[in-house]
Amino acid sequence: MIDLFRLTSFRIIFIYIILLALSIGLVAFYLYWSTSRDFQMKVDNEIIQESTRLSQVYKRYKEVGLIREIQYLSKTPNPNLYILRDSNNKFIAGNFSDTDSLWNLKRLDKGGVLFSFEKKNNNGEIIRKYYFRGKEFIVRNKYNLIVARDVSYENYLKDRFFNTILSTSLLIIFLGLLGGYVLSRNFLNRISAINKTSLEIMDGDLSMRLPTSSNNDELNQLSLNLNNMLDRLNKLMIGMKDVSDNIAHDLRTPLNKIRTNLEVTLMSNPDSESYRETIKEVIEDVDGVINTFNSLLAISRVDSGSVSLKKEKINIKDLIEDIIDLWEPLAEEKGVVLNNECENDIFFDGNKNLISQAISNLIDNSIKYGKEENTVNLGSNLNKENITIWVSDTGPGIRNEDKEKVLDRFTRLDTSRNTSGTGLGLSLVNSMIKFHKGKIELLDAKPRGLIVKLQIPKN
Amino acid sequence: MHILLIEDDINAASYVTKGLKESGHVVDHASDGEEGEQLALTLKFDVIVVDRMLPKLDGLSLINKIRKEDNDTPILILSALGDVDEKVLGLKAGADDYLAKPFSFSELLARIEVLHRRTNPEVKETSIKVGSLSMNLLTRQVFRQGVEIDLQPREFRLLEFLMKRSNQVVTRTMLLEGVWEYHFDPQTNVIDVHISRLRSKIDKPFNGKEMLFTERGAGYALRSDD
Repeated sequence: MIDLFRLTSFRIIFIYIILLALSIGLVAFYLYWSTSRDFQMKVDNEIIQESTRLSQVYKRYKEVGLIREIQYLSKTPNPNLYILRDSNNKFIAGNFSDTDSLWNLKRLDKGGVLFSFEKKNNNGEIIRKYYFRGKEFIVRNKYNLIVARDVSYENYLKDRFFNTILSTSLLIIFLGLLGGYVLSRNFLNRISAINKTSLEIMDGDLSMRLPTSSNNDELNQLSLNLNNMLDRLNKLMIGMKDVSDNIAHDLRTPLNKIRTNLEVTLMSNPDSESYRETIKEVIEDVDGVINTFNSLLAISRVDSGSVSLKKEKINIKDLIEDIIDLWEPLAEEKGVVLNNECENDIFFDGNKNLISQAISNLIDNSIKYGKEENTVNLGSNLNKENITIWVSDTGPGIRNEDKEKVLDRFTRLDTSRNTSGTGLGLSLVNSMIKFHKGKIELLDAKPRGLIVKLQIPKN
Repeated sequence: MHILLIEDDINAASYVTKGLKESGHVVDHASDGEEGEQLALTLKFDVIVVDRMLPKLDGLSLINKIRKEDNDTPILILSALGDVDEKVLGLKAGADDYLAKPFSFSELLARIEVLHRRTNPEVKETSIKVGSLSMNLLTRQVFRQGVEIDLQPREFRLLEFLMKRSNQVVTRTMLLEGVWEYHFDPQTNVIDVHISRLRSKIDKPFNGKEMLFTERGAGYALRSDD
C-alpha cells in the first residue's frame, strides 16, 4: 500500500482540492445568501406597499371600509394572503380562514411573520406543504391583520440550491482526491522505477538506462538528462579503459623487443662492441617508451588544465614561417613541398609553444602518411570570432568513419600500422586546441588529401 | 671538473654520480637542501646540479641563497616539472639551465659541459674560429680553408651555436631550444636533416677531415680538424 501523504504530489493535490472546494463553497454560499436576501426584501417591500395601501383605506373608511376591502381582495385572484382577526383571534375576513394553522406562526422583528400550512387529502395525508412570509399589523388594539405571501417555491429553490452546492463540493473533493491518488500512484511508480534502475546502476551495471516516456514532462527530462550523463560517463569509462589497454599494449611491445634483444645478446657470448651496439639499441627503444609517456603526460596536463600556461601575442604568419623553417629540410628530403599561404600578419593571444607543437604534429603526420609528391599547405585567416589555421595535404586522407576516432589517444589506423609513431600526435593537437577553447575539423581535400582546420576563438 | 650534485632520490643520485665519474669528473653528493647549501658555500665547484624539490630547503630557495652570497657557479636544475613556465621560473631564480625529468644522461652531461665552458669570461666576440673553420659575426660570413661558404640564416645560427660549443656534444633538445626556441620535441628527428644539410656545406666540399659528427644516441658535435 502506498503511503499517500508521503508523496509530495499527493500532498499538493490534496491541499489544492481542499482550497478549491472551500472557495467554490464560499462563492456559492455568498450567491445563495444574497439571492435569498434579495428575494426576501422584494416580498417584504410588496407586503409593506400593500399594507400601506390598506392603512390608507382604514384611515378613510374606518373598520368597515377595511373589512370590505379585504373581503373584496379575498374574492379576486391575488398573490397575497390576508387574514383579519379580532382581539380574540376570531376570523373576520380574508382568503385564508383556517386560522388553526397559525399555531406555528413565528414572529420576527419589525412585525415579520413566518408560518407554514399543510394541505391534506381526505385520508389526512399531507400532499403539500406551503410556506408563507408576511407582516402582522395590530389595528387600534382591536384587530390583527396578517398580510403574507406564499414562498413555498422559493423555499424549495433555496433548498435545492443549498443541496446542489453541498453535493457539488463533496463531489469535487472526492474526484480531486481520486485523481490525486491516481496521478500520485503514477508518479510514485515512475519514481520507484528510477530508484530501482539507479540501484542497479550503482551495483555496477552502467549499461542500464532510466525509463523514459513519450510525454516530455520534468520527470522525463530528468531521466533523459541522467541518461545522457550516464552515456557520457560510460563513454569516458570506455575511453579510460581503452587508454589503459592501449598503454599496456604500446608499452609491452617495445619492452618485449628490449627484453628479447638483451636476452639474445646475453646468450650469444659476444664481444664488447656488440654489447655496446645492443645497449645503444636498447637506449633508443627506451627513449621511444619515454616519448610515449611524455606525450601522454603532456596531453593530460593540457586536458586537466593543471598547467599554468601563459598566453602571449602571437603572429601566426611568423609562427608558421618558423615551423616551416624547421621542417623544410626533412620535407624536401621526402619530396614534400611546404607552402605558407598566410598573406597578412594575424595576431592573437595564445600559447606559442602549444600552437607550434600542434602545427608541428600536423606537418609530421602529413609528411609521415602522405605519399611522394605531397604538397602541404599551411595558412591562416581571421573572421569576427575565430582564427582559423589550416594544414592541408594531398596525401591519402582519412575515411569519414575514422575521422572521430583519430582524435582519440593511441588511434593508429590500419593503413598506418607500419609507420613509426605513438598514435598520440592528433590527440595532443586536439587537447591543445581545446585548451585554447577552439575546435578541430577534419575535412576532405579535393581531389584527395586531408584538411585539418583549427578554429580558435579570438578572445 | 668538480661537480656538486644535490639530489634526494638515492637511485637517481647514484647513477648520475657514477656516470659523471665515468666521464672523468669529481662528484660531491648532498641529499638535502641544507647539506647542499653548506657544501656549495664552503667548497669551490665548477658546476652545481640541483633537484627542484628537496627536503629541508627547496631547490629554488637554495639557488637564491647561493646567488645572494655572490657565488656565480653555474647551476643546472633538474625537475619533474617540465613545462616552459616552470623553466622560466627556475631561470629567474638564478639557475643557468633547466633539465626536465626524465632526462637522458648524455643530455645532462652535454649541458653540464656547456655550462662549464660558458663561465669562461665571455668576451664580446666578433669572430669564432674552430680548426680551419672561421665565422665572422659582424659580416655574417663563414670561411673554411679560406673559401667562403654560403649559408642560409638558420644554418648560420645553427653553425654559430655549434661553434660556440665546439668539441662538446650538443643534444637535439639543446639545438631546438637554442636555435629554434622550441620547448617541445617533434616526434620525428627533424634536426638530423638540418645537420646533414649543414654538413654538406661545411664538410663535403672540403675533402679533408670531417668536422661535424653525429654522436649516436646523444647528439652532435663540431670538432676541430686540427
